[in-house]
Amino acid sequence: MAQEPHVVVVGGGSTGAGVARDLAMRGLGVTLVEQGNLTHGTTGRMHGLLHSGGRYAVSDQASARECIIENRVLREIATHCVDETGGLFVKRPEDSEQYFQEKLAGCEACDIPTKVLSGAEARQLEPHLADDVEKAIWVPDAAIDPFRLVVANAASAQEHGARIETHSTVTDVVVEDGAVVGVEVEHATGAGKRVHGTEGGTEVIRADHVVNAAGAWAGRLGEMAGVDVEVRPSKGVMTVMNTRQVDTVVNRCRPKGDADIVVPHETTCILGTTDEEVADPEDYPEQQWEVDMVIDELAELIPMLDDARTVRSFWGVRPLYEPPDVDSDDPTDITRDYFLLAHDDRDDLPGMTTIVGGKLTTYRMMAEEITDHVCERLGVTADCRTADVALPGSADNTALDDYMTEFGLRSPVAQRSVDRLGSRAGSVLDTDDPNPTICACEAVTRAEIQDAIEQSGTDLNAVRIRTRATMGNCQGGFCAHRLANELHTAGYDDATVRASWDELLAERWRGQRHALWGDQLSQAMLSYALHATTQNRGHDPADADTEIDFTAFDAGPLAADGGPEGAHGN
Amino acid sequence: MSDSESDSTTTTAENRFEPATPNVGEKFDPVALHDDTDDFDLRPESDSCYKCSTCDTNCPVAEVDDDFPGPKFQGPEQWRLKEQSDDEDHEIDDSITECSNCMRCDSACPSGVSLSQMHNTARGEYVDDQMSKRSLKYWRNRILANYRTSARIASTLPRLANAAMNFGPARWVMEKTLGVTSEREFPAFATETFREWWQARGGAAASKERAQARRRERGEPVDADKKVAYFHGCYANYNTPEVGQAMVRVYEHFGYEIVVPKQGCSGTPMFANGMLDDARRHADITVSSMSDLIEEGYDAIASCTSCSMALRQEYPELFDIDGIETVASNTFEAVEYLRIHEPLRETVQSADIDGELADEFAYHAPCHARSQGLDRQAVELFGDLDGVGIDDVGDSCSGISGTYGWKEEKYETSMEIGDDMFDHMESAEGDTGLTECPTCAMQMEHGTGYEVRHPLELLEAALVD
Repeated sequence: MAQEPHVVVVGGGSTGAGVARDLAMRGLGVTLVEQGNLTHGTTGRMHGLLHSGGRYAVSDQASARECIIENRVLREIATHCVDETGGLFVKRPEDSEQYFQEKLAGCEACDIPTKVLSGAEARQLEPHLADDVEKAIWVPDAAIDPFRLVVANAASAQEHGARIETHSTVTDVVVEDGAVVGVEVEHATGAGKRVHGTEGGTEVIRADHVVNAAGAWAGRLGEMAGVDVEVRPSKGVMTVMNTRQVDTVVNRCRPKGDADIVVPHETTCILGTTDEEVADPEDYPEQQWEVDMVIDELAELIPMLDDARTVRSFWGVRPLYEPPDVDSDDPTDITRDYFLLAHDDRDDLPGMTTIVGGKLTTYRMMAEEITDHVCERLGVTADCRTADVALPGSADNTALDDYMTEFGLRSPVAQRSVDRLGSRAGSVLDTDDPNPTICACEAVTRAEIQDAIEQSGTDLNAVRIRTRATMGNCQGGFCAHRLANELHTAGYDDATVRASWDELLAERWRGQRHALWGDQLSQAMLSYALHATTQNRGHDPADADTEIDFTAFDAGPLAADGGPEGAHGN
Repeated sequence: MSDSESDSTTTTAENRFEPATPNVGEKFDPVALHDDTDDFDLRPESDSCYKCSTCDTNCPVAEVDDDFPGPKFQGPEQWRLKEQSDDEDHEIDDSITECSNCMRCDSACPSGVSLSQMHNTARGEYVDDQMSKRSLKYWRNRILANYRTSARIASTLPRLANAAMNFGPARWVMEKTLGVTSEREFPAFATETFREWWQARGGAAASKERAQARRRERGEPVDADKKVAYFHGCYANYNTPEVGQAMVRVYEHFGYEIVVPKQGCSGTPMFANGMLDDARRHADITVSSMSDLIEEGYDAIASCTSCSMALRQEYPELFDIDGIETVASNTFEAVEYLRIHEPLRETVQSADIDGELADEFAYHAPCHARSQGLDRQAVELFGDLDGVGIDDVGDSCSGISGTYGWKEEKYETSMEIGDDMFDHMESAEGDTGLTECPTCAMQMEHGTGYEVRHPLELLEAALVD
């Protein structure tokens, strides 16, 4: 039997990871390449809403229907990534009653279950809603952890034989005889799990088909292949609060606009967002007014947000796409639907398919469609099973409660660990070694950190997205160096560890810059003191390229003079 | 938002931390989440914690017990990790019962986080939801926390109770069945309670006459507005009425008329055992009578620093009762109040003392006095008093923390925490102790064998003929 067809998937976001899983489960050979760590692009920079479809129930009912279908699927296959919060569309006095009714009717038309709550009932559910909220529509929105979701998809793909290459940038699309036959990839630091400090290299990965799932970067990949993919990146800001002001997703019930959603996410709430077109998905301004506006606007729904502590803000870039003939002026008018661009039909370039647009909630459906398409092109007949087979970690959660007492962890630590690890909790947390809490803000123990290092190699940001370590209120102030220590213990050398540690601190700092007032400013000053002075992160000779010859230091005055009265050199 | 944000931050910061005044947790107005509950929003507390760990380094339990995760974990960290709608899955860690509620973390915190409020709330939730109501430990704690009830019964036959409570075989049984340590001797019940004495003496009417007579002697207007309501608490009523009597005589000496209103237990031992419903019942009684009196111009005075702490800080943090804020902001410790309103220091300077109390005292400042900013009060005041010497035995916790040190499983920890204080008492001059807190007094006596007195008794001896 001939070897199975081999597909290269470009992009380690939800779509790419979903496609890789689907292809691998259908028996195809898969290599996924991603320029950063998994979720590096838009997937890692969204507010973690698992749409019920309610948001699109008036403006885009096709998307709304897809959302509610996939919402139900993900509750089954990704239980450990989903927090079933429910959602509210709340109406303030100045919001249109007509729109409220349209929303309700739209949900009904799209099979989205609803319940209308009075203002008092809504406040009973969420006590911090503003007193003048008149009424609300309950919908089955939920919170989803995009990191965990993508990592689980990638892990599943790997289990089915896929090769996952992070920190590997596509530098060219190889076209031979008018067809795409592979990609040229620059590995940042060597193939396989990323290892700093060893030599990187260029690799040509040949493929029977290439899937361009590069999101905001899809246009760039298209360019390399000589086809025009008009992605219109649009940025949006999200602000992370220190605590959960609400336990239910809160949307403002009005036609699409900025700053109209609060999503409870793990220990935090995420406020969002804005919508502004940018030229370059990698280089755009992050401006304080965007953060201020989001907080001010949402405080109309939840007044306590005004004085609440924010821990950071981040920006994501939507990879919006619209067919060339539409030409919207305002990015908010561009559809949120996804498009499959079959380059053989469209551009007379066989061997490559691009997927653009869409949203995380429907990632699996998009993946299914593109996998169907690729299979059809490659003449493979296999059914999609991604809607039926649970992701790793969501396999069987019945035994979870027993874990709580088993691992000798303090209650909230055990609970959070099991929430994150799902059905993997047993294999990860069951250790004979001491298992102290490394990140106290998010309750992450050493065993979970070590598990993440095993999965992701030397990238501490990859450890972060797997575990939430450094994502709590101190933003790594108290645990970044402990993570570095774990990396060192795992056998990586000083320089590798230090480089990874630097990257982690830089990434944490990037978001904190937009939260530096009040409580988080105090926090940042303390973290600065810890990092810069205690650990001398500012001017550490050990950061230099040369190894420090610690043996060259003398043994000190006591040893030199043989007694406590020895010379102190003054 | 930057502008308005910086404004609001400044105001909050001012409310939050004012080093010159005691940190009594007034940084934010507690908002009851629902009308019918006492659930307060602790988000501001969690937001204010920047994890510096100063609370952990000030925790006397963490100092001697490496397994105790400390106040930062018990308070803001656990609250934040636990806070989620599917609450039933997120349990309170059982280490919350190791906290002794000394409340040192409150005053240690540079950000004004009311850690004790978070601990009290978590402990209440732990006891309500996770502790078996059929366990002996629950009933042991409930009995210890409701000391007032036992004391009321015992006081009807004080001599018999005193004999029975310290009867060896009975104590052995109490330790084996209930887990009440047999190492300690139960405090003696007075043969006449403070309230009995007060009634026999003529109550408020007699006090008014005496106060007016003293005002005349002092050259003050006879109808001067000097009236206080005395919160004696359980211990001064049932065990040490001499402290309550000293309070009455000292206050009348300064021309104050006193009333002794209907009152419950302050709730201190109930908070410490997570029995918030019990505490609430008692608080209802006290707040109701005290707030009426305060409306009439009285101030509330306590001679026990844990009682004044409860009324001032824990009540408004934990309960939503009509008038509770009024009570909290008009409650004072007995000596503190006189320092504010009378030339107490000068009066003491020109006084002297002889007789039984002309002595050298080893003074221990209770943690709850420290939290109210009163830890140097007795030393500074009596340092100027002829006839007595006073040594501060340092800033350690006595370790007993009310009912904590009475629990068989906590006894060793309690004594280990107390070690510093015992050492300092031994090396201080004299062999009489002095403190405001009745349970600290038990520990001082237990660890050193010293007799222990209350500052009000010294004031009485110095000032009242």
